[in-house]
Amino acid sequence: MAATFFGEVVKAPCRAGTEDEEEEEEGRRETPEDREVRLQLARKREVRLLRRQTKTSLEVSLLEKYPCSKFIIAIGNNAVAFLSSFVMNSGVWEEVGCAKLWNEWCRTTDTTHLSSTEAFCVFYHLKSNPSVFLCQCSCYVAEDQQYQWLEKVFGSCPRRNMQITILTCRHVTDYKTSESTGSLPSPFLRALKTQNFKDSACCPLLEQPNIVHDLPAAVLSYCQVWKIPAILYLCYTDVMKLDLITVEAFKPILSTRSLKGLVKNIPQSTEILKKLMTTNEIQSNIYT
Amino acid sequence: MDVCTFEKVGIRGTNIVVLGVEKKSVAKLQDERTVRKICALDDHVCMAFAGLTADARVVINRARVECQSHKLTVEDPVTVEYITRFIATLKQKYTQSNGRRPFGISALIVGFDDDGISRLYQTDPSGTYHAWKANAIGRSAKTVREFLEKNYTEDAIASDSEAIKLAIKALLEVVQSGGKNIELAIIRRNQPLKMFSAKEVELYVTEIEKEKEEAEKKKSKKSV
Repeated sequence: MAATFFGEVVKAPCRAGTEDEEEEEEGRRETPEDREVRLQLARKREVRLLRRQTKTSLEVSLLEKYPCSKFIIAIGNNAVAFLSSFVMNSGVWEEVGCAKLWNEWCRTTDTTHLSSTEAFCVFYHLKSNPSVFLCQCSCYVAEDQQYQWLEKVFGSCPRRNMQITILTCRHVTDYKTSESTGSLPSPFLRALKTQNFKDSACCPLLEQPNIVHDLPAAVLSYCQVWKIPAILYLCYTDVMKLDLITVEAFKPILSTRSLKGLVKNIPQSTEILKKLMTTNEIQSNIYT
Repeated sequence: MDVCTFEKVGIRGTNIVVLGVEKKSVAKLQDERTVRKICALDDHVCMAFAGLTADARVVINRARVECQSHKLTVEDPVTVEYITRFIATLKQKYTQSNGRRPFGISALIVGFDDDGISRLYQTDPSGTYHAWKANAIGRSAKTVREFLEKNYTEDAIASDSEAIKLAIKALLEVVQSGGKNIELAIIRRNQPLKMFSAKEVELYVTEIEKEKEEAEKKKSKKSV
């Protein structure tokens, strides 16, 4: 019961359910077919972490199996291109495993045989220092799969003595600011860090009321809850496809403690990046 | 919406106006001649645009008709400022009408007026226009503009070849793979628009590279 503004008393809708629900419940009870469909869908959307050599699933989470002091995660094609050209070229990285998943955004129907050119999520570690991990994630991880991804990678009780760095991109139209959007120096970097991250960021922190979405947000929230020092570098860009200027916007991160020591030959990396761009260039005729 | 516009540079010299554009690579089977970035609006005015090609086509057609209409009515060719104002007014109308969207192009309009003075104007989708001594539009316009601010001097624009070289140098700052991706057009006083062939552009690029090498040699000699 509730009182309205005018003083009359009306019966308010109750979210706990009404008394005459028993009849409706019978119709809502799950049939065996419904259950089967639901289980099938859950199996299809399962996130599986596979070992590299044997392609069998890992029994424990990735970071429970291997000790980790530094973990760099690139989410999105521009961030992946940045790590490929600048970090993966400066050392010998060995593939440790990969995450296989399917959701409506994946452009493949075959979940068992995802080829390397399709959307992927691969984990590497540095051969000379196996506690340094890198993740190249160019697939979209749906909301219901993010928790599974975190469980399979970090586990349910992660260590605190590691540092996480996340790189990702977002379209500049998502950036809320009181400045005129025409004057924004896109692409530009913003950072968001957890409470336990004590170092300084190489760019301004993300201003309110902007928020982070999807997998980067899930990882950062997880790190905040488990008191792991983590920092997210978010590049706001006006071109979401693979783009040289967007990838180069990540360059200030090369001087931070997160990536120091992992990057050696920057001019060579720039050349490699340019080659990557030309092989991936799809020219459209809409713009001149 | 992804924005992927290529660089355009406009420079106003004393006796010449230069428009340089970054050529985009066309698909193998596509006819290169149908991809035009620098368009003549009249004999003494031309423009380069950055943005949606289809929108530019509509604006250019309207501007060309207006140039001829003006010539017939007033018996004088349009001034660069007049045609720029016409284009800007057209663009502004589309920002204030229901059911329409603004034209997605920025344009650099160059030319000579009857009084013999060179002009360069820039318009943007909001319908504003401003006169410039030298400007750039496109994705890395900021970088190119900074280069122009440092290198645009009275000496640099005094001679025609220096003005052309300045435009090419500005484009080389941001254009990948050098001179073969640059298209150039000039208008000299009382002369029609001249488009440079790829060979002519290459000649200037080699000259610029030679000058750069000599400047570096001089620097290293001085430091020794």
